Order: sequence, then C-alpha cells, then structure tokens
Amino acid sequence: MSAAIIAQVAIGGLLMGLVYAVVAAGLSLIFGLMDVVNFAHGALLMVAMYATLVIHRMTGLDPLLQLPLVAVLLFGAGVGIYRVLIARTLKTRGNAAMVQIFTTFGLSIFLVGAVQFLFGSDFQSINGSVLGGRTVTIGAITLALPLVVSGGVALLVFLALALLSRTEFGRALEATREDFEAVALIGIDRDQVFGIGWGIGTASVGIAGVLLANFYYISPDVGTNFALIAYVAVALGGFGSIAGALIAGLAIGLVEALTALVIDPSLKQIGIFLIYLAVLMLRPRGLFGRL
Amino acid sequence: MRVTRVSRRAVLAGVAGVGMAGATARRARAADEIKIGAVFPLSGNAAAIGQDAKRALETMADIINGHHDIPMLLGQGGGLAGLGGAKVRLLFADSQNNPQIARSAAERFITQDGVVAIIGSYTSATAVTISQICNRYQIPYISADNSSPSLNKQGLEWFFRPSPTDVDFTQAMFDFFAAVGAKTGEKVQSVAIIHENSVFGTDSARLQASLAAAAGIKVLANISYQANIPSLAVEAERLRAADADVLMPSSYTSDAILLVRAMHDAGYKPRAIMAQDAGFIDPAFIAAVGPLADGVMSRSAFAIDAVKERPAIPAVNTLFRASGANKDLNDLTARELTALQVLGDALNRAKSTNNMALREALRATDIKGDQTIMPWAGVKFDDTGQNVKSNPVILQQQNGEWRAVFPFDIATAPPVWHIKR
Repeated sequence: MSAAIIAQVAIGGLLMGLVYAVVAAGLSLIFGLMDVVNFAHGALLMVAMYATLVIHRMTGLDPLLQLPLVAVLLFGAGVGIYRVLIARTLKTRGNAAMVQIFTTFGLSIFLVGAVQFLFGSDFQSINGSVLGGRTVTIGAITLALPLVVSGGVALLVFLALALLSRTEFGRALEATREDFEAVALIGIDRDQVFGIGWGIGTASVGIAGVLLANFYYISPDVGTNFALIAYVAVALGGFGSIAGALIAGLAIGLVEALTALVIDPSLKQIGIFLIYLAVLMLRPRGLFGRL
Repeated sequence: MRVTRVSRRAVLAGVAGVGMAGATARRARAADEIKIGAVFPLSGNAAAIGQDAKRALETMADIINGHHDIPMLLGQGGGLAGLGGAKVRLLFADSQNNPQIARSAAERFITQDGVVAIIGSYTSATAVTISQICNRYQIPYISADNSSPSLNKQGLEWFFRPSPTDVDFTQAMFDFFAAVGAKTGEKVQSVAIIHENSVFGTDSARLQASLAAAAGIKVLANISYQANIPSLAVEAERLRAADADVLMPSSYTSDAILLVRAMHDAGYKPRAIMAQDAGFIDPAFIAAVGPLADGVMSRSAFAIDAVKERPAIPAVNTLFRASGANKDLNDLTARELTALQVLGDALNRAKSTNNMALREALRATDIKGDQTIMPWAGVKFDDTGQNVKSNPVILQQQNGEWRAVFPFDIATAPPVWHIKR
C-alpha cells in the first residue's frame, strides 16, 4: 500500500468528516438550547436536499449558488418549527424532555412521509452541476471537487458559528439556556432567542444538505445515513459543543476511511463506535462537553 | 319495564340479523374475489423498488381481471375461469425493508385478512422471515424477486420461486465470460468482487468466488461493505488498486450510485462491470449516474427487447407504464408481474382456494415460456419449489438502453467488450 493511497484516503476521510461535522453542529447547537436531541435532524437534512433539487429543476440554479438561499429557507423552517411545535412542548408540565423527543420524532416521520408523497420514493440526483463529477489532482492525490469545496464551506460555517458565540446574541443564547427566568428579568424573550437558535441550527444542516446534493443521491430516506453519524459525533464531541462537533466529525471521517483501508470496509463503522465507547468510558461528557 | 325488555329483544334480534346479513355478504364477496397478500418495501431505503413492484402486480391483476386480450397465459382476462371468473384482489403491506416488520405483515395477512398466498419481497433478508411464517401457516409464498439461493434450501414445503436464483444468474455470467472470450479472444483472467454484507450480497459474492475458481479466474479483491453507508470512496480506491479485468458488484440502488460515482472520482474506469442486477438495473441508478452507466452489464431474468419471441411484451409494458410507473418494465418488475401470473394459473387449475389444492396445483405447474413475457424455457418447479426452466440473460447498457447480449441466439446487440490490457 503506497503512501499516496494512504494520504488520499486520509484526506478524503477528513473532507467527508467536515460534512459530518456540519450536520452534527446544527444538532449540537439545538441540543445546547434544550438539552434534548432533535430527532428530526436527519429529515431536515433531507428536506434541504430536496429543496436544492427542486430549485435546480425549476430555475437551473447551480447547487453551489443556492447555498445562501437554502440556508435562509431552512433558517425560516427552523424558526417556524420552534414557534409552532417546540415552544409549545417547553410549556408542558412534567416530562418535557419526552414530549420534545416524541414531537421531533413525529416531525421526522411526517417530513419523510410528506416528501415521499410529493416526490415519490425514487432515488434522484442533480446532474450537470458545476462541481458534479469533477476531480482535482494534487501530485499523486486525486480528490472529488465537490468534496473539497464542501470541506471548505464547512470550515466557513464553523468560523461563522465561532464568531456568533462572541456576539451579543451568542451571549444571550447562552444566558437564556442557563436560566431563562433570570434573563426574562432583563428583557430577553426566551422564545425569540430559542427561535433564532433553532433557525441557525437548521440553517447549518441546510448548508450540509446543499453540499451533499452536489454529489450524493437524494431520497426520502437519505437523512438516516447521516443522522446516526451526527448523533455519535455530538455525543463524542460533547453535547452542546460546536468545537466538539468539528473535532468529532473529523475524527469519525478519518477513522472510518482508515478502518476501511487498513482493516476491512465492512468494519468501518465498528471503528467509529469503538472510539465512541472508549470516550464514553473515559470521559462520559464527551471530548468538549461541559455537563 | 316490560316494554324495555321487548325492545331489547328486538334490538338483539336486529343486531343478529344485521350480523348474519354481513356474514352472507362476506361469503358472497369471497366467491368473486381472491385475496392475495403482497409484502414489499413501500417506504425506507428500498421504497422505489417496492412502489414499482406494487404497480407491476397491479398491472398483472388488471390483466387477469380486465379485458385486455394479451397473447399470454391469463391474458384474455375476465377473472380466473377455474374459479367462476373470480377476480384477484391484491392487499399490500409495507415491510420497510425490515425482516421483523415483514414477518408481522405476513402473519397479519394470513390470520386477519385470510389471503390465499403471499408474494414478496425484494430483499432476500425479508423473504427468509416471510417464507418461514407462510410455511408455519401452510400458505404458499411466491418469491417474485428474491434471488438468494439459500431461500429454497430452507426445507420449506410452501416456497415457490418462478425466477432464477443467483446460482443460475452467476453461472450465466461465467458462461458469458467463456463464450465471449472464445469469440473475441479477450479472455477474462481476473475479477474483483464488491458486495453489500446482507444475505443477498454475501451469497452472491461467495458464489462468484467459487465459480471464478472453477473457471480458473483469479479473484483480485473481494470487498464486503455495509449497505447504505455514507461513502464508498475507500472501496473504490481498493478496486482501483486491484485493477481486475471485470468488476462484479452486488449492490442495491443507493450504493450502486455511490460506488460508480466514487470510482469516477478516484479516476478508475473498470474495463468491464458485470453486476448482480439489483441496484444496477434500477432506472433511478441510470438516471443518477448518466453516462457513467454506459457499458455496464447485468444478469437479468428479463429482456424487454426480446419481442420477437415474446409477443406479449409491448402490450404488458404499455399497461405497466400507464399504471403510474412511467418507466419500462425491468428485470424486477417483470419478475414480480410473472409471479402473480404463475400464482393465478395455479389458482385457476386448483379450482379452489383451499391451501392444499393450491399447493398441489403449484407443484403441477408447467407453463411454456412463450406464454409469459420472460425469455425462459418455461415454469416448472422442482422439489424445493425452484423453477428449473428459468434461464437468465445478460444485458448491457448501450447508448442509454438495456440490450440483450447473451445468450447469443436471443441477443439483440453484440456485447461491447474491451478487456484487453
């Protein structure tokens, strides 16, 4: 096995890891707000991919150029979901966590079913995008261009999220999460802050959806493949931690690729879960968790 | 008080009367409708295949029940003559491509809906649980499109499969390699196998490896992967490193799309791809990868262009397209459709919906190939319920269409074959 192949596989794995990380970041952010996992996260990824597909079919707009548009659409969807569904679940007395879990789970089933009803169950894909099918070669290493661009955009998303946490809003978000009754005294409305938090979380999964639509197939079920990895990444990186999601996503991408190359492709998820179990045993709150 | 008692009795009598009327109505209905259960993945990762299967079965039910006058067995329509013109009624259940859900769906069909037989189920993993439940309740399971050879080796008394198994299919691939090698002088010296790791892929790969060894062909890679994985980039890299004459994948649609794209991204173009059907024959695969599918070969039980020998194909295909499928019949949908035809023929000859009579009729099945839309010699089951007359064909994607390239006597186009180094 040559060094070039190992390097190519490792870089490819890290780039895929960046995509996992963006999916996980949205999940982690929303978790940070409510201490509850959003089970509709995979379905929202899928919705973003279909949104990209529909816009592409209707206007011919390249997926890459749709990034801001779909991000805004998903931001709106996130705020809407919070206002219509989640804000109500927060008002339940007793066992609010369960209510939220079932609400997001139900939302997921609804979204998958609605998309299958509207678009059918066929696998679809966006052909003829600017990036689609292109590769870049650096020395002996060949990489898929959509994956390279996705990795770059993913890094920008993390930069934006890092900057956000330093803004007034970022601090308001953190404060509301810590004690919403206290912040209400200084005039911060919980629903407004959480609504925007949900919007940002779903906007980042929306960006991941657009990136994936460049090179991945699109089907009502496509979210499941990524949601499981995102849950693991969030638990691995630490619940609520954005930096943790980034590091965990990268680690998963790398371990997955190297396990497949060195040991056996059918065992690649085992590598991920072994690390996950090890982290759980040694550091149950995750790498960057503050719980 | 007295008045109340009388009225109560009247009410009871009335309720009983309505109940009896209901029972009579049900019996009358049962005489002109034969319920058949169909378990397919109607949602989840294989939903596209399941939805098409539903349309294929509905098309055949329409042919049996309606009046389309198609030149094949039961093509004259008007219901099942042997059962007084009874109509076939299909009940569908969604297996979600999950063996446990498939099992409970089959059980519900038998115990609650009273179906006479069950047809299924696309993936072999779901066929295992359905066929075992059918065996326990003594109801025939017609395996429409499961190709795993282990299915008819379970020792089940109620299992019937009109289509070829992966043994027949895989043998046809190696027969083709030998024949085309002799014809062109470009012999296959090595293959690389890649397969998903459930029943279908594992059985298929094991067979391919053993038949390759028997034919003196080297297996340069034998890669197993988990289905519906987010990326197959590393697998593609390993295949590129192996660089075999022929790549032999056994994959469902989602993975087929990922694999072909990943190979393209890795800059790897196999000299020949011989697929074990499944995802590679799915129109969604061709649509997704476009020109990357050109030259892909697959085994098949069906050849849509074999119209000369099978005159029913155009009419059946038109009906299928009009059923909402909006695509041509393919290997899977043709097999699903034929499975219902075979079951309908057995019901017709059994002249009864009694399970024992139906099994005897299935065992006595002897259909000539030209009475179906399949390129087979015919349908005749052996002791394990396997059709011994279903000979597969090899198809190739040429300019966006599937052409039959082997056996040479039914081929409609010569194979494109360039494995020379």
